[in-house]
Amino acid sequence: MDILKAFLPRLTGRQFLMIGIPAVVLGGGLVTGLAVLIILGATGATARPAPTQPIAYDHSLHAGDLGIPCEFCHRGTDTQAAATIPSVEQCMFCHSVVATDRDEIKKITTAFESNTPIEWMRVHRMPDHVRFTHEAHIKAKIECSTCHGPVEDMKTVKQVVNLNMGTCLACHRDTNGRSIGANNPHPISVDSAPMDCAICHK
Amino acid sequence: MSSIKSATDESASRAATVAGGTTISEEERRAGFGHRWGMSVDIDLCTGCQACVVACQTENNVAINEEQRVTEKRAKSWIRIERYWEGEFPNAKARYLPVLCQHCDNAPCEPVCPAWATYHNEEGLNVQVYNRCIGTRFCANGCPYSVRHFNFWNPEWPDSLENMLNPDVTVRTKGIIEKCTFCVQRINRARRDAAQSDTVVKDGDISPACVQACPTNSLVFGDLKDPFSKVSEAANSDRAYHLLEERGTGPAVVYLKKIDPNATSSSEEHHG
Repeated sequence: MDILKAFLPRLTGRQFLMIGIPAVVLGGGLVTGLAVLIILGATGATARPAPTQPIAYDHSLHAGDLGIPCEFCHRGTDTQAAATIPSVEQCMFCHSVVATDRDEIKKITTAFESNTPIEWMRVHRMPDHVRFTHEAHIKAKIECSTCHGPVEDMKTVKQVVNLNMGTCLACHRDTNGRSIGANNPHPISVDSAPMDCAICHK
Repeated sequence: MSSIKSATDESASRAATVAGGTTISEEERRAGFGHRWGMSVDIDLCTGCQACVVACQTENNVAINEEQRVTEKRAKSWIRIERYWEGEFPNAKARYLPVLCQHCDNAPCEPVCPAWATYHNEEGLNVQVYNRCIGTRFCANGCPYSVRHFNFWNPEWPDSLENMLNPDVTVRTKGIIEKCTFCVQRINRARRDAAQSDTVVKDGDISPACVQACPTNSLVFGDLKDPFSKVSEAANSDRAYHLLEERGTGPAVVYLKKIDPNATSSSEEHHG
């Protein structure tokens, strides 16, 4: 203890008030903050709010009430890696005649006439080192909602599934356990969910 | 027939398949014996043109080797052409040897990784998971072929090449090891394309960037488990050998000896 005392600064009462108490308060705050982050991380909560879109597009109306299939607008999900964001022309398929008098629809018309793309905000994003392909999952008859949640009930789309490696692996493992193990006769076949790192990590 | 075998088992059974005349039918192969990706390099056809080196650099977002990096001996290329001179000046001959990751069955780089960033997958690829790599460089130290490259700097490209990067390949950052993947992104794409049309990947469907670029077809890529593939044919050739075979690494890259009618056994000892 004597050695310890020699290294610690000796604080008078006033110094203790000015340095000691703020140090304890700040330190406590830091620990609490870290704890909150760890708990949020462990429970897999996606606390990210829905981004504000340039046009108040309502998925619950289009996909929900009107029952338009996802693939009608998000073309290419079954043939390519990316589920595309529809172009302005795609909106104009219907909105050259449907509800053209509304303010939000007028934004599309303006964009179409001035030849400027609509700057939609991205909701779901995989990290750069992940090779995710929609076509393989559509081919395997995975529902869109498995990863994107009940979009047909959302006015503004937000991310509801925490798309981290654990989510991917849990599903791949549950879908079929055939793709791992020494005695497995189907190492990586077309109809199994692969468990190999090199399939997703690029 | 188990799908996972040791290196010796596999090469033995491969030989037996061909010698015994019994072959796996296409249906049996489709039923899932899996693949063992391999490459053959015909030294007799290689002209040392470096097209494979450039193609690889472009396909895999390998940073440009500036002069300074080369003089510092920090140049990176996933495939390199080693040049060996034979004879004295007027009668000098250059011989070329393309060297890339050999995707060894018994790879010295794999067991030393403390982070499991490098491992052997079921198709015989020696895989490097970049975001798992912590940069100990143990693997690069263990590799007898010197084909693992450490990123001492973040890679940079001139502005004019900003849009050149291949989106299917990660840009590796400072502090991690990178290496030849046999263009795994192309393998995966071929597999997806085959799945789309409900077929299997056939011999010749997949060609890594180097193979595609090779003007003399010196490089051939294929499935070593398919006895009819071009690469199996090469592996069973009399001219076939492996680099540093005595190390027992069990490489997946097969080299075919040079055919030189004037070569004598003594001249072959003057390499390097």
